[in-house]
Amino acid sequence: MSFPPALLELLVLCLGLALLLVESFTEKQDRTLLAYIGMVGLGVIFLILQLLPPGPTGMASYVFDPVAIFFKKFVVLTTIIVLIMSVDYATTIQRFVPGISSQAGLGEFFAIPILTCAGMMWMASAIDFILIFVSLELVTISFYVLVAFMRRNASSLEAGVKYLILSAFSTGFFAYGAAWIFGVTGNTNLVRIQQVLPALGAENYSAILFGALLVLVGLGFKIAAAPFQFWVPDVYQGAPTPITAFLSVGSKAVGFIVLLRVVQAFQSLPPVGDKVVAALIILAAATLIYGNLAALPQTNLKRLLAYSSIGHAGYLLMAVAGISARDSGQAVVIYLAAYLLMTLLSFLILIIVSNYADGDEIVNFNGLSQRSPLLAFGLLVAMMSLAGVPFTAGFLGKFLVFKVAYESQQFVLLALGIITVGCGFYYYLKVVRAMYWQSAASNGATIPVSGLSFATIVLLVLFTFLLGIFPQMATGLLR
Amino acid sequence: MDSVAWIILFTPLVSALVITLFTQPYRKLSSYLSVAAVGISFLFSLIVFFSPDGSAGFTWIDLGIFQVRIGYLIDGLTRLMLLVVSGVGLLIHIYSIGYMQDDAGRSRYFGALSLFMFSMLGIVLADNFIMMFMSWELVGVSSYLLIGHWFFRSSAADAANKAFLVNRIGDFGFMLGILLVWSATGTVAFTELTHKWSSLALGSTFMTVAPLLVFCGAVGKSAQFPLHVWLPDAMEGPTPVSALIHAATMVAAGVFMLARTFFLFEHSPLALGIILWIGLITSLLAAFMATQQSDIKRVLAYSTLSQLGLMVAAVGLAAPGAGIFHLFTHASFKALLFLGAGSVIHSLHHEQNIWHMGGLQRRMPITFWTFLVGTLALIACPPFSGFWSKDGILAASQGNFPAFCAIALVTFLTAFYMARLFVVAFLGHSRTEHAEHAHESPRVMTVPLILLAIPATIAGLPPIASLFWRVSGHEGSPATAIIVSLVAFVAGVLAGFALYRSRDKDPLNIPLFEYRFYIDQLYDQLVKWTQDLLAGICGFVDRWIIDGGVVRGLSGMTWGTGFALRFLQIGNLQAYAFLFGLGVVVLLYFILFGVP
Repeated sequence: MSFPPALLELLVLCLGLALLLVESFTEKQDRTLLAYIGMVGLGVIFLILQLLPPGPTGMASYVFDPVAIFFKKFVVLTTIIVLIMSVDYATTIQRFVPGISSQAGLGEFFAIPILTCAGMMWMASAIDFILIFVSLELVTISFYVLVAFMRRNASSLEAGVKYLILSAFSTGFFAYGAAWIFGVTGNTNLVRIQQVLPALGAENYSAILFGALLVLVGLGFKIAAAPFQFWVPDVYQGAPTPITAFLSVGSKAVGFIVLLRVVQAFQSLPPVGDKVVAALIILAAATLIYGNLAALPQTNLKRLLAYSSIGHAGYLLMAVAGISARDSGQAVVIYLAAYLLMTLLSFLILIIVSNYADGDEIVNFNGLSQRSPLLAFGLLVAMMSLAGVPFTAGFLGKFLVFKVAYESQQFVLLALGIITVGCGFYYYLKVVRAMYWQSAASNGATIPVSGLSFATIVLLVLFTFLLGIFPQMATGLLR
Repeated sequence: MDSVAWIILFTPLVSALVITLFTQPYRKLSSYLSVAAVGISFLFSLIVFFSPDGSAGFTWIDLGIFQVRIGYLIDGLTRLMLLVVSGVGLLIHIYSIGYMQDDAGRSRYFGALSLFMFSMLGIVLADNFIMMFMSWELVGVSSYLLIGHWFFRSSAADAANKAFLVNRIGDFGFMLGILLVWSATGTVAFTELTHKWSSLALGSTFMTVAPLLVFCGAVGKSAQFPLHVWLPDAMEGPTPVSALIHAATMVAAGVFMLARTFFLFEHSPLALGIILWIGLITSLLAAFMATQQSDIKRVLAYSTLSQLGLMVAAVGLAAPGAGIFHLFTHASFKALLFLGAGSVIHSLHHEQNIWHMGGLQRRMPITFWTFLVGTLALIACPPFSGFWSKDGILAASQGNFPAFCAIALVTFLTAFYMARLFVVAFLGHSRTEHAEHAHESPRVMTVPLILLAIPATIAGLPPIASLFWRVSGHEGSPATAIIVSLVAFVAGVLAGFALYRSRDKDPLNIPLFEYRFYIDQLYDQLVKWTQDLLAGICGFVDRWIIDGGVVRGLSGMTWGTGFALRFLQIGNLQAYAFLFGLGVVVLLYFILFGVP
């Protein structure tokens, strides 16, 4: 097939722009139709990705290898599920967005994530600092709009401002670091940098390391690694929930692919590569401790998930820090796949329940098992998987990460990881306890679930188990 | 061939799933489904019985360093066990239809029974340690469910817990043993292990410790001393469960496992010696305890313990073949005895005390005669099946005088307590209302009794036995073994008759035996002390270290941080940006100047 892979991003971009145009030039049309068109369009893109074989692209800054394909599928799938969530969330959006018609702004809310998706897909293929930077900005700028989308909600606005400023701050570090690396190596292309590095003289090591660390800071912001995670709880809580899910899954995943590629490039020069790994170890340790300890006292599920997403970034960083082990990249990929399933499952159910109960505190989930057994079971599976119970996808991910840490002899991280998994059980099971052991509040009716969300929940639960029971499915993702 | 073994294994699993998920409200359908599943397994076991050896499988979980294979291994041992498990299983499933007909939880019961069949067949078919261990644990779960079937009776719930927890101890050792074997050889597949283990150049300590840890699994599951305490309590489950799981099949899994992994043990005389004496001690203790029990099922339970001890002792005598042969005959006659006891209990309205029975030979003729057959087989009366298999074990112990004496003593005691049971429960006059109005059980229960009586009678005869299992040297067993075993048998029966004929209460009163050597009480105290000690330590840690140090420290820190952040409240954002920048500086400083 002579289908140029880079066309896919353009198709996605066109899809997003087309939806925006439809939004502008129609008035009476039901806006949720746009979301459905978006889902179908992205579904077609997903199918094409399924069919395209990896191969050379003829472009120096753009690769189409199995890792890139995996991440493209990953973000497309995430976007589809985010759109499904957004449809459920539409009522809340309407409440907080001023407009003449009742559905004002909804079309944009459905179309912009598709533009973000295009940016993320580019990032998955980018191996040049310039393309990485541009696609990163496409993603980030569209997130500025999405996070602050609920204009009449103060906390959404506040979250948007915080995200805007801190993100700009981190982008500065990233660009500065890339400039240093360019200054020393004369290249922005990661493949070339990898080739050039071993020939560098020792007097350049500090400069190249300085640049690498600054790039690490910029990426550390995207993946919510401590100490660059301060924005996460506030922004996650203030943003519209589907966007929170998008941030915590999509944005983090593409952050990790860029991180993997950058760290990999520096391994060709061991004096610098080892110090980059040392920095990763420090970040991983800090992230594990901060994410898991801070999650302990949370009583709000959305905020709890924010901290848990920091904690999971810690485990993923463990795998990246074990870059010397053979399966490091594979562990990151499988962990992210598991993370997608369980995190989106949690957010989907969170949206449905909090829409109904008008609040996302854990107490709103009291007695859910009696009111809506399916929702309770779905969230149970998500929590089990997040905590890492065997025969769920989350366990497989943690197993592989710990294996990588063991093989690369990061025993301190390994010990820390095992202890923090213990913390995880505490705060995830708190949600389970609320659903299954606490009695329901006054509002005891069954919560209505739309057919699409129902099917999504069932599928996510199913795949969470399938990945856990048949791990080969996951190891086959990269072949 | 390939699919046959999978059908045997997975049909009961499908049945268990269907019953649990779909047919829960239709009790009759559930029971027929379960019976049909085990029937299919039995038919295909017959096919396997006449097929050649083989093995096949697939990799279930493949994570590079860690692989789990699901595979089967068919050899003489597997064939025999398949037949025993599915054959006895089928009869007991049928019997259960009658026994459980009034039970509201029948679907649950048959679902658990199917799950049990799946797991037990998994142990039998497994070609590697991991699959065996998983099935082993599933067997534990289904045994738990079935013992606790009447969970609303606290004694049943406690017994289920006890069985599960005591087995946990043994299984922990088993798991450590598997891990040791795995780390030493790099494989868990039995055929590969057989070659690798003998060529392993490791110290004799390792070659003794690893097999003994594996043996721990058998100690738990086959209820050997000192973990034997759960089996008598397990009689709280429905009687067919006692017959199938706690007499014929599951408790024999330990012996089967020892035979399957005998290559681990044969190089270590010390390990074999320990196994021999654990088996003999269990056998003797249980036989003594059985002489003073008045609950019909408990007598049978102790006799099961005693016979399992003999099988384990046979492995310890380096004659696993003799042990498996005894397992084979024991499965049929012990299932027969339990089902006979169940038939009596059923018709006497759940009366289990033998002193409340009596005079049943006319009222329940089929139960009476089949029970007689089972008794004769158990007490090793020639030519019933038990005679031949016990004789094989006795013959194997000829070179070891203390073991020989112990087995002879067990033979005597077995004859004695079974004569006592038989005389008191079935002969003489009826001692209670219920016993007077006893009537024969329905045909769905008596037919399995008759069918089981056939192998109990003839399965030991050398020409028939050789069809199933080749035991070396039992035709030519020396005359001393036969003479001693006959003398012990006759003496036991005579003593039993003389003491118990037309008695209304027990003329002997030996509290030490009746209270089972006070081992259960000792364990209860031990558990209590350990628990109190642990609770004390935990309490101390909780109160003084966690509460005092960590929590107060943490809350103090949180409060302090909150206090500090209040000064930065002018704009949270600035604080965040400040901390972000601080983080960058610290990271850069550490990496550029700190890390060597």
